[in-house]
Amino acid sequence: MGAYVLRRLWQMIPTLAGVMLLIFVLFNWVGGDPSLVLAGKITNKEQIENIKKQLGVDQPAYVQLGYFAFEVATGFTCTWKSFTDNPDPPKTDPKVDPKTDAKTDTKTDATKATAQPKSGCQAVRSWATNEEVPKILTTRIVPTLTIMIPVLILETFLGVILAIGVAYVRGSLTDRMIMMVCTVAMSVSFLVYIIVAQYIFGFQLGWFPVQGWSDSFWKNITYYAPLPIMLAVFVGLAPALRLYRSFFLDEINNDYVRTARAKGVSEKTVMLKHVLRNAMIPILTNIGIALPGIFVGSFLLETFFSIPGLGREILVAVNRSDFPVIKAATVYLAMVTMIINLLVDVLYKAVDPRVTFK
Amino acid sequence: MNLNIPTLNCAKRAIAALALILASIFLVSLAQAGELKTLKIAFRNAETGFDPQRIEDRYSVGISENFFETLITYDWLARPAKLVPLAAEKVPEGEEGGTRFTFRIKPGILFADDPAFNGKKRELVARDMEYAIKRFRDPANRSPYAWLFIDRIVGFDEYVEAAKKANKYDYEKSIPGVQVLDKYTISFKLKQADYNFLYFFAMPIVVPVAREIIAAYASDTMAHPVGTGPYILKEWTRRSKIVLERNTNYRGHQLDPQYAKPNDPFDQAAIKALAGKTLPLIDRIEISPIEEEQPRFLAFVNLEHDYIEETPPNFVSQLLPLGKPSPVMLKRHLLVQQTDEPEITWDAFNMEDKIVGGYKPENVAFRRALVLAHDRGSEVNIIRKGQAVATKSAIPPGVVGYDPNFYAVDQDYDLSRAKALLDTYGYVDKDGDGWRDMPDGSPLILTFKYRAEVEGRQIAELWVKSMTAIGIRMQTTAVQFADLLRDRKIGKFQMSNLAWTADYPDGQNFLQLLYGPNVDESNDARFKLPEYDRLYSQALKLPDSPERNKIYRDMNRLIVAYAPWRLGVNRTFSHFINPWVLGYKKHPILYTAFKYLDIDTAAQQAAQQK
Repeated sequence: MGAYVLRRLWQMIPTLAGVMLLIFVLFNWVGGDPSLVLAGKITNKEQIENIKKQLGVDQPAYVQLGYFAFEVATGFTCTWKSFTDNPDPPKTDPKVDPKTDAKTDTKTDATKATAQPKSGCQAVRSWATNEEVPKILTTRIVPTLTIMIPVLILETFLGVILAIGVAYVRGSLTDRMIMMVCTVAMSVSFLVYIIVAQYIFGFQLGWFPVQGWSDSFWKNITYYAPLPIMLAVFVGLAPALRLYRSFFLDEINNDYVRTARAKGVSEKTVMLKHVLRNAMIPILTNIGIALPGIFVGSFLLETFFSIPGLGREILVAVNRSDFPVIKAATVYLAMVTMIINLLVDVLYKAVDPRVTFK
Repeated sequence: MNLNIPTLNCAKRAIAALALILASIFLVSLAQAGELKTLKIAFRNAETGFDPQRIEDRYSVGISENFFETLITYDWLARPAKLVPLAAEKVPEGEEGGTRFTFRIKPGILFADDPAFNGKKRELVARDMEYAIKRFRDPANRSPYAWLFIDRIVGFDEYVEAAKKANKYDYEKSIPGVQVLDKYTISFKLKQADYNFLYFFAMPIVVPVAREIIAAYASDTMAHPVGTGPYILKEWTRRSKIVLERNTNYRGHQLDPQYAKPNDPFDQAAIKALAGKTLPLIDRIEISPIEEEQPRFLAFVNLEHDYIEETPPNFVSQLLPLGKPSPVMLKRHLLVQQTDEPEITWDAFNMEDKIVGGYKPENVAFRRALVLAHDRGSEVNIIRKGQAVATKSAIPPGVVGYDPNFYAVDQDYDLSRAKALLDTYGYVDKDGDGWRDMPDGSPLILTFKYRAEVEGRQIAELWVKSMTAIGIRMQTTAVQFADLLRDRKIGKFQMSNLAWTADYPDGQNFLQLLYGPNVDESNDARFKLPEYDRLYSQALKLPDSPERNKIYRDMNRLIVAYAPWRLGVNRTFSHFINPWVLGYKKHPILYTAFKYLDIDTAAQQAAQQK
């Protein structure tokens, strides 16, 4: 298995290079000119040129691609070699003007504590806010996971339980009713659920806040997160239920199930031991496909409930043409997807001993 | 009396003492919580940061208003907006024919405490203003407002050029036109007369900053706003929560009621709540950016926020159905203030375009026909849901130079006149396909470029509908914001919708949008009319006066006559305020100014406990 994992890890490098190339091409040729967005209401050519120079977008494409690769590999960017590169004001003591008595001592403790190294390289920063991009990703992922991990757990747990139940009573009125409800539920936009739920549960009934987030995990999980989680689970449950039901039905109709029943094995054992275990492979595949999504969060949920998560951050970055943030989030998602795919493949072995790594 | 304390063992005594301390802390915090005045509001968009020389969006600027102080500002109650001193001792008069402005800063103004000051109190001095002005042109700052100081101050452009050549932006080097005369006095010499230069010093981004702070937090100046204003940044979860608390070094401020209108209920309420008191009165302000309309509105009606500004038009009708207060509004005693912001929208024609551009009579007639055919009433009533009025001139109400009597009949909706003009100049259907053609017989197809969003699409659809009514084909193109900006700047569009909000309340800030030399900068219509440019230059040299107002009128006439724009609307905004918020009045230029607010905490708590 070790060789298999190492081989898969090795294969990630060309895959990631392909993703980076795609991102680079998309942003450079289709993404518009960020310097115009950053230049403000009244622009002039000199300012536009200066911004382009600072962002490095005036460099030849191959140079920009090289810098992009360096940024992805290290999380750092190196300043462009021009006088515009020095964002720090001089840290020497300004001369004292006896007339104006305006000496400003810039060599303070705080300066020593926070001033940037003069090596010319620093963490990749947002073009719009100057915030360090790695910091953006690491701080925004926490609210996203606070919402999305419970959603995934609840959705999977409820989906599997309900699916095995309705699969067991397939063709019955209960089965048909639940499938009909699922179809109707899937036909309505997530946005509608959010708007209606905010109005009813947040405003009319006052059970939940309509927006907000705090620094306390427990307050978030018990006060701000329940409504978004419930909505996401409700919306995600219908398609999951239908899909998992079909997996269970596939298994229920197999010969080994008939054999087990003929041998007198109880229905509970048949369903929970034999059918469930065999249906777990496609279920696991489905979870694996959905898993990277939890690291990005739901754009709609985070925007409507003012949750400072990664999804909302990406949305704001797109609106501001903040390419470093968008690029970083895209590369990050690609990496997460590859790693999760690998983990899911390894998990197959744990679920089904017949699986072998080649 | 024997209290048996000696009989308690050591551990018990420790526990008892600890319990006593905790109880005291609890009681004290309860008492403090009861007295703490906290204002909670939402913003429509996320902020970017609080380095005044590096920000542009109104939300970041609006919050920064509370950290920093301008040298001069606008009186809180005066309408139209009137300049008054803030950090400066007085509003300077233009000297040397409007080419020199000298400010004297009030002695004794202190910055908020910060470790960068090494534990010492730091006084505001003229050098801080000089440093801030230099920062605008420092390429490293990419200041969106660098244009304020381009081609304006004597020697500044040369200073920047020299820095480029030397590859070093030298803050030590002086600029001939920026003279620090003494500790508190700074004087600016301009290349040519410009009486509107004074307004720059009332913009919340043109504020003095301490060089030590910028140096100390050079890696993230956006997160360390340290100024002389009434509040400090206490907490900041970016794009999620911004918490302001009182600046203990703030010297206090008094409301000046001299410009209050006796018949304005908001003025009178502000005087009743604030007059004679040392401002600010609110201890803590919590701001949550909420981009979506519904949660922002519901958070207000759910009492999570104390007031809501610029209420989305879709929700105004819930509180003010048909303009009348709803039962909820009456029950909650909500106040509403409706304001026309100093802004305009317009649809620009690209004057360099072969079809809609040009200055010949037939070109002008064609544009005027398009203007007459455009159903602006539908934009006001349907797209804006009645929360707007048709713009009468390029200068909106509330701005110096606005003429309430200026009315352009040529911007009215009149299909018959539009058709007659087109027929007269040969824009008729020549090939019998039912659509008008160019006078030379070539097909006439217009294109309208808009930002890919709901409002932009609605405006584009209205244009298509209006053009179809006069037999002109129009295609629309939706593009992303960055692409639209680029296309406008390089003239790669035929028609497009734009908007402008006043940076300062003078008509010049709007009329410059059609000034010929501003092509590639702010003149997106690429309008170049020598007569207009001459009038613009002439007006710059004059202070606010009837003579200058006449020039503004003449420029407006030229705009209507040559029709580089289809004038759009002035949006009306509704602001709903809970009754415990005292002193509220929306200012046309300043965005927040929390120091002019108070809270009746008893009423606030009573309402929230219901």
